[in-house]
Amino acid sequence: MLIQCEHLAKTYKADEQVVRAVDHVDLDIARGDFVVILGHSGSGKTTLLSLIGGLTSPDSGSVRIHGKDNWSMGDQHLSLLRNKTIGFIFQFASLIPTLTVLENLLLPLYFGEATDNRREKGMELLARVGLADKANVYPSQLSGGQQRRIAIARAFINDPEIILADEPTGDLDEETEGDILKMFRQFNEQGMTFLVVTHNANLAASQNGCRTLHMKNGQFV
Amino acid sequence: MKINPLQRQLNLLDYALSSLWRRRMKNGAILAIFAFVIFLLGSFQLLSQTLQSSAEELLAFAPDITIQSLVAGRQTPIAANKIRELADMYGITASSPRIWGYYFDHDNGANYTVLGLTEEEIGAMTGVILESGRLPGAPGEVAVSPAVRQSLDLAGRSAFSLFRPDLSQASFKVSGLFSRETDIVTGDIILMSLADARHLFAMPEDMVTDIGVKVANPVEIDNVARKIAGRFPETRVLTRAQIRKTYQVVFGWRSGFGSVCLLAALASFVILASDKASGLSREEKREIGILKFLGFQTTDILALRFWESVVVAGLAFLIGLSLAYVHVAFFDGGLFKPVLVGWSVLRPDLSLAPSLNGADLLLIFSWSVLPYLAATIIPAWRSAVIRADTVV
Ligand SMILES: Nc1ncnc2c1ncn2[C@@H]1O[C@H](COP(=O)(O)OP(=O)(O)OP(=O)(O)O)[C@@H](O)[C@H]1O
Ligand SMILES: [Mg+2]
Repeated sequence: MLIQCEHLAKTYKADEQVVRAVDHVDLDIARGDFVVILGHSGSGKTTLLSLIGGLTSPDSGSVRIHGKDNWSMGDQHLSLLRNKTIGFIFQFASLIPTLTVLENLLLPLYFGEATDNRREKGMELLARVGLADKANVYPSQLSGGQQRRIAIARAFINDPEIILADEPTGDLDEETEGDILKMFRQFNEQGMTFLVVTHNANLAASQNGCRTLHMKNGQFV
Repeated sequence: MKINPLQRQLNLLDYALSSLWRRRMKNGAILAIFAFVIFLLGSFQLLSQTLQSSAEELLAFAPDITIQSLVAGRQTPIAANKIRELADMYGITASSPRIWGYYFDHDNGANYTVLGLTEEEIGAMTGVILESGRLPGAPGEVAVSPAVRQSLDLAGRSAFSLFRPDLSQASFKVSGLFSRETDIVTGDIILMSLADARHLFAMPEDMVTDIGVKVANPVEIDNVARKIAGRFPETRVLTRAQIRKTYQVVFGWRSGFGSVCLLAALASFVILASDKASGLSREEKREIGILKFLGFQTTDILALRFWESVVVAGLAFLIGLSLAYVHVAFFDGGLFKPVLVGWSVLRPDLSLAPSLNGADLLLIFSWSVLPYLAATIIPAWRSAVIRADTVV
């Protein structure tokens, strides 16, 4: 099993109120799976993704990737995991405003050996999300949807095994959304594993053999 | 896939440079202030170092003990034959008369120090280097510094004359040129025989300004001085140590340097207080969050901050020190002359040749760069532990 979550739980305390954002969730995802999580706003989808991706530490339970428990391995292991194994696509803008599009895109390569084909790889991904002509502009000069597509391209730059995507097509028009979903499918067919949070039924329908899960109050229903 | 640690640090340095550049307005301001602080520190250290060693070198012509005659508390000529009375005093190796006076050259407004010594003293002179020629031997011969020669406007000639008090002229011939290396002590000196000096100043036969005493055992100097003072109550008896002390008090370098150190340190901390310690801006936090979820470790962020500080502090150090050197070497430390009281009175127009030594560098470094690096560690740590889910 590529990803195994056991009794995964995370609570937040806000103004004396305890919110069970993720409430003892079990989830197994195999290599090459395409998993879609649907659910209302506030049902715990983003929290689940950041637990799996090693961004947020759980209160209890465990996340294992390749059989290794994320939270017993230390900072170096987690960083490597985030850098090489997992590609994140966030719900909200996650580009560094003072870096150009291409510089943003190449950031995860910072710890790779310096290779000459970095730029080409970056340009190729930019072309795939339809923004090859924007390599040298700053994020503030892009629309929300364009910024989103840069963030999507960045998630793929290190050839990760797993893509964790939070509303990746939220602010895209139908045509661009179609292109992105096609790209997801192609990568998925090559064996990349996807865990995608969405409100969008199209997304689930666009992928072959996709598993759909529904989340409510921090649990699968 | 492990990347080698050196390559990793180079990458981080690269990112640190680009991130400094991206915030170049703010970092430029910090750099400027910091460089200025180091410039102040460096100027003071260089200046006081130079002044201190010049105080030491000024003593090159000072004998172990100097005896002057006093009338009404003021210096008057002293009889050269006092030497005979000194001869039998225990501990004295030799004593010799000398004339130490000042000559104001109306034509070009320069002040020269005229030093007339006995033949034996000139012959035994050490600590002074000649660039060319020889020390004065024959009557009328003098040794001068390049600066004095220029001021006398000799233009290749070696003969010149100075006015005696009755406005008759005394003729001289330059036989030797002091090396520039000893400018600090020989810069304004015209060295001549005792007789020539007496002639120039029209002093009575057998009268001189000082009597220099050489003591066999340096430890005995104070003792001998006390004995001389007891024997000749109408004289002033000065030891080298006393003269040195006077110079140092005049330079006042210790207190000056101390207060500047304090100011500099204060300024460094003000810079810090207003920058790093003020906490991280939202934008910076977000950036670190993004770097974290893209795979930067806590130690990488620490290294990033460290490189940034090293680059800023290092640049400031280089710029500040270079400016300080230029300031002291080419502008004679003009900004601080008024602070280091007395300097300009002692030596009105002398070019300083500052020398940087490792100890100075270390001192300035430990007063500026080290506190800065130390004080950036805590804010760096605070930013490094920002969690990767900050941006989620
Ligand atoms: N940092 C936090 N501090 C306090 N409460 C939080 C925090 N993050 C999330 N929560 C709470 O946890 C619950 C789950 O939040 P989460 O962001 O996972 O929902 P979501 O399913 O992603 O919602 P949406 O579809 O609106 O993005 C919400 O009730 C939210 O208020
Ligand atoms: Mg969410």
